[in-house]
Amino acid sequence: MICIFLCVTCFSKAQTRWLARADSLLAQKAYFEASVAYERVLFNNASPQINFQAALGKTQCLKQQSLFANAVTFLSGQLAAAYPDSLSYRLRYEQILCAYLAGQFENTLSTIQQLTYLYPDQSAPPLVSVIQILSLNELQRWPEASAAYQQLLTWQGIDTTQHQPYQQLPKLKSQKKAQWLSTFLPGGGQFYAGKPGEALLSIAVQGAGLYFGITSFLQGYYISAWGIGAGLFGSFHMGGVRRAEVLVQQHNQKKIKSFNEQVKAQLLETVHP
Amino acid sequence: MKGLQVYFLGFAIGVNMLMAGHLSAQHTELVPSDSASMPEENFTHELRFAQYLTDKDAFEEAIFVLSNLNSLTLTVPQRDSLRYSLGWNAYSAKQLGLASRSLLTVSSQSPYYLKSQFFGNYSRAFQGQTDSAYAALNQLTVPDATLNELKAVELAGISLLKRDYDAFNQHRQGFTYASYALSTEEKRMDDYAHKLQSFKRKSPVLAGLYSAVVPGLGKIYAGKKRQGIASLLPILSMGLLTYEGLRKDGVKSARFISFGTLFTVFYVGNIWGSVLSVKIKRNEFNREYDNKILFDMHIPMRNLFQ
Repeated sequence: MICIFLCVTCFSKAQTRWLARADSLLAQKAYFEASVAYERVLFNNASPQINFQAALGKTQCLKQQSLFANAVTFLSGQLAAAYPDSLSYRLRYEQILCAYLAGQFENTLSTIQQLTYLYPDQSAPPLVSVIQILSLNELQRWPEASAAYQQLLTWQGIDTTQHQPYQQLPKLKSQKKAQWLSTFLPGGGQFYAGKPGEALLSIAVQGAGLYFGITSFLQGYYISAWGIGAGLFGSFHMGGVRRAEVLVQQHNQKKIKSFNEQVKAQLLETVHP
Repeated sequence: MKGLQVYFLGFAIGVNMLMAGHLSAQHTELVPSDSASMPEENFTHELRFAQYLTDKDAFEEAIFVLSNLNSLTLTVPQRDSLRYSLGWNAYSAKQLGLASRSLLTVSSQSPYYLKSQFFGNYSRAFQGQTDSAYAALNQLTVPDATLNELKAVELAGISLLKRDYDAFNQHRQGFTYASYALSTEEKRMDDYAHKLQSFKRKSPVLAGLYSAVVPGLGKIYAGKKRQGIASLLPILSMGLLTYEGLRKDGVKSARFISFGTLFTVFYVGNIWGSVLSVKIKRNEFNREYDNKILFDMHIPMRNLFQ
């Protein structure tokens, strides 16, 4: 019994020392080395509390190296281990953060659902709701995002009538409309996409091709009219149609990003005033 | 096959010995020592830790742990285990230089020796060191018929990579086409040899001449049909514009001189492009078959050793 007691004591001391060493490497910003040191603690399979500290440390190392997807995978492996509920709850919370930072928005929402299903009695921290709303925004699931936003404000005891960002959703433009406009009206798609400079340039180039083609034809330069005039007009016309589509895509992405940033700023101000 | 079973048995015994070493290790100081001495239990522990990282696909971290071990004080079996483990992790992390260096230094007493030799030489061949890989594998003594056939497949593959068809024909005598782990790759190797030998080496000069007669024809001859057709259109247009300038404005006109210059540049450029396209097509063909050969050298090794 004495031997077992001494062994356990020595072992725990060694693990604590390893953990301290890993923490020290993390503090020195030696993230890769710290990551190996935290894994060593996990490999030696110490108490759940020490393992939990190591798992959090390793997650921190991966986050510092911007390896968010790796952190999600690592935490999934950790969640398969036997942790008390209070600790595994914290690990799931970290997993949600990492999944969002990795741009895995569907996975983020699914992990949040798991959290609420597995721990129905625990109220999730407000940041989880924020991440849920931001992920829904990224996926352009605005009705759901709006409902979650209103719910968060209600929980926080904030007047919901004062904060209504979802009443002014970004107005997105149609790629198809831009394509049709540019097909029948040179530069029309670019105007529609909000790029008048590019529209004028497109009109000028297509117009020059057309003018050259017509004058060459009238002067009897039929090959030049066809080869250069029609060629220039046709090429720039086709290019203009494709460019209009790209411009609308960029316009929409910019609008969505701007809206999401605005909501993000409002949310963070609400949660952490 | 019997030899392969003996090999796997050896591998299993090796793993069990490591496990036993770990279980007997005292839980004293697990922090690795920076001094020259490396207690056996500490080495075993570190090796198991590296294996734990390997199992989690953390190959870079495993390489880091293994590289920090001081191999000078280790016994020969321990050193072999270290080199094998380091080599295997490097191989998994696609660090083939480190993989071949580590795997090929595993001693013949090790249960990992044959596997290390096959994978180490494969790594060499993958890096283009076909001569040294061929020589080392050719000298390797294997204990049974299955591994001997695997050796024949690997040597035949390296011979094909070297485009040495005599050597390939010599090694393919060892193909039985009967082993589940080798028969598909053996048939494919025969097919690759046939395709490589029947590949017609086209002449760059002829491609240039064809393009001089009909722009783009040289590229079609070289095997690049789309590029050939695509290059015909601009040259034809330039030619017609030059002809129009000559017909309407005369030989001294700016129109004729401008389009004529452009036509000449496009025409000569296309001839030069056709000459180069023969070489490009040949390189593409060789690269495609090298990748196929390397792929089919790899599959039977994985089948037999894992």
